Amino acid sequence: MKSVNEYVKQKPWLGWVLFLGTMVIVFMLGLLASSVMERRAEAVFAYTPQVEISDWEPRNEVWGKNFPREFQSYYQTQDGSFKSKYNGNSMIDMLEIDPRLVILWAGYGFSKDYNQGRGHYYAVVDVYNTLRTGAPLNKDADEPMPSTCWTCKSPDVPRVMNNLMNEMGTDKGLAEFYKGKWSKYGEEIINPIGCADCHDSHNMNLRISRPALIEAFERNGKDITQASHQEMRSLVCAQCHVEYYFDKQKFEGSNYLTFPWDNGISCENVEAYYDELEFSDWIHKLSRAPMIKAQHPGYEIYLTGVHADRGVSCADCHMPYRSEGGVKYTDHKIQSPLNNIANSCQVCHREETAKLIANVYERQDRIIENRDKLEELIVRAHIEAKLAWDKGATEEQMKDILMDIRHAQWRWDYAAASHGGSFHSPVETGRIISTGITIAQEGRIKLARLLALLGHNNEVPYPDITTKEKAQEYIGLDINKLKSDKQKFLEEVVPKWLDTAKKREASWDIKNVN
Amino acid sequence: MFTKFTKFFIPPNNWKTPVIILLGIFAGLGIYSIYVSKVWSYASDNPKACVNCHIMAPQYATWYHSSHRETANCNDCHVPHENFLKKYYFKGKDGLNHAKLFTLRAERQVIFIGEEGKEVVKDNCIRCHSSLLDQSKLISQTKGKYTIHNTDRECWECHREIPHGRVNSLSSVPNAKVPVPESPVPDWLKELVKN
Repeated sequence: MKSVNEYVKQKPWLGWVLFLGTMVIVFMLGLLASSVMERRAEAVFAYTPQVEISDWEPRNEVWGKNFPREFQSYYQTQDGSFKSKYNGNSMIDMLEIDPRLVILWAGYGFSKDYNQGRGHYYAVVDVYNTLRTGAPLNKDADEPMPSTCWTCKSPDVPRVMNNLMNEMGTDKGLAEFYKGKWSKYGEEIINPIGCADCHDSHNMNLRISRPALIEAFERNGKDITQASHQEMRSLVCAQCHVEYYFDKQKFEGSNYLTFPWDNGISCENVEAYYDELEFSDWIHKLSRAPMIKAQHPGYEIYLTGVHADRGVSCADCHMPYRSEGGVKYTDHKIQSPLNNIANSCQVCHREETAKLIANVYERQDRIIENRDKLEELIVRAHIEAKLAWDKGATEEQMKDILMDIRHAQWRWDYAAASHGGSFHSPVETGRIISTGITIAQEGRIKLARLLALLGHNNEVPYPDITTKEKAQEYIGLDINKLKSDKQKFLEEVVPKWLDTAKKREASWDIKNVN
Repeated sequence: MFTKFTKFFIPPNNWKTPVIILLGIFAGLGIYSIYVSKVWSYASDNPKACVNCHIMAPQYATWYHSSHRETANCNDCHVPHENFLKKYYFKGKDGLNHAKLFTLRAERQVIFIGEEGKEVVKDNCIRCHSSLLDQSKLISQTKGKYTIHNTDRECWECHREIPHGRVNSLSSVPNAKVPVPESPVPDWLKELVKN
């Protein structure tokens, strides 16, 4: 057999064919290698986020670059056009609708201004606007609210908290955050409730960012990091939508945000907890009763309802799945399910929309019927107590009566402030209101006896509080002064805060991934 | 014999240098292609091998969030299990077809299973769930309709969400965490290029 050598010697063109043929094969192989490379590189681009999100990134827009659908749906909480029968997402002046509230909260910030909340998008702006936060025109100005009031308003809060904790240690850092007045963080806190409040920036897992909930779990011997994903879909909401109070004993000068869950989570348990501590939020201006303000115990009431019992989380109804093209994702437009029956209720309940809405309104109507009754009884009790004081009643004579007023209004507020409560758990809400009515009437029987003893044996006249203005005048509130101060504050101070904050944020790099 | 055989391929002296270079390039590119396409991973049953092609990410993500994740990997359903030969013959054939489509960029935007694949999957449904098909309780309910219920239709005509759900286009799960291969460029080289 001749070798290739000899073949080529005989026919030189054969050499060229061999040479070129090999070249073509090598060229093709090169193409294959480059194609494989290219397609592997695609994977890096196709599934890689745009930017690196740092640990406590407060700017929702930065997160939005990686998660545009979630971000855009979140910013739809701007929408203020939906009105349900009683609530919705538009701003409603609750004092206007129900001027009795002014009497119930006489001497407390809520009698100045109380609105139906708008979407999360407005969290910071609405805190600027409310008369309750006052008008701190400079750093030393006297102002009504402590820094703790920021805690639930912004993803800047965990950022500031963590900076302080890194500097001063966990306990001291937190104590420092809760120290001082509201305006202390005006320049620091500007982004509305958003991504970092609920998500871990590295893997988007749900995460509890507020210490109060973690601490409440710890005191009850529970570890919140062991919560399942489904539980977390409610617990991230429970960071804020719960009853809380400011513990002034824990650290000197600190309004330490605390959940009163140590005796249990029910309305009575929490009432007993406050009674043991002899805690009160304020002394009522008319009756001088030591009052407790219930703050939206939404999570606690939800836990007693049938939906919680069946394992339905907050997000299942308030952030249902949404399809866009072929993509299914969680709708971050957190809102009343009444505005999105198809994706919330109807996922489980195969009834007509109108029917489902009617079922909700029916529960609300019935709860509100009795809540209004209780409200009127407490207004009367406050006014009768005031008359008793005016007639010369002693502290000793009033003691039990004031406790009854405290407990009755606590129960009324617990039911009223839990917002969705009459749907989340109509039975529990109805029960709480009925115990409130009993206590209020017990107190009024005692009041009637005392008034008779003091020489007044007639019905105490019910004041004319048919409008917000009349009611505010009745309790002696100069609302116009508050309004003009607020206007000045909004024009002079807030723009300065925002300026400083924007400069700070402009100095932070946004790291692109590729 | 051996020397004769090698002699046949030895090029003329003045050709030796270019031939050595060409053979070097040939071998190098060949080995590199094997490395960059992770050829060895295809011998395993690890589902990660299937997302070497990133276009399989939606299939991986939906499987990963299904109950089948706990007991069945891709190959448990998508290649035959009658015997060793049939398994690897089918796997090789299917795999080469996929490699061809992926390399030529001929994949569809929405990937559907082919006819042959359907049969294999159905056989595998029955392989694990055979007890469901001969349970007397169930048979009594499908009395007289055995053919219709058990042979004439695919399992997933009714069990439509199993296991990949109904959403399966290339862009359907943009944020799913899928272990697609990382950039083949080593870190030191990236650093070098950056500087």
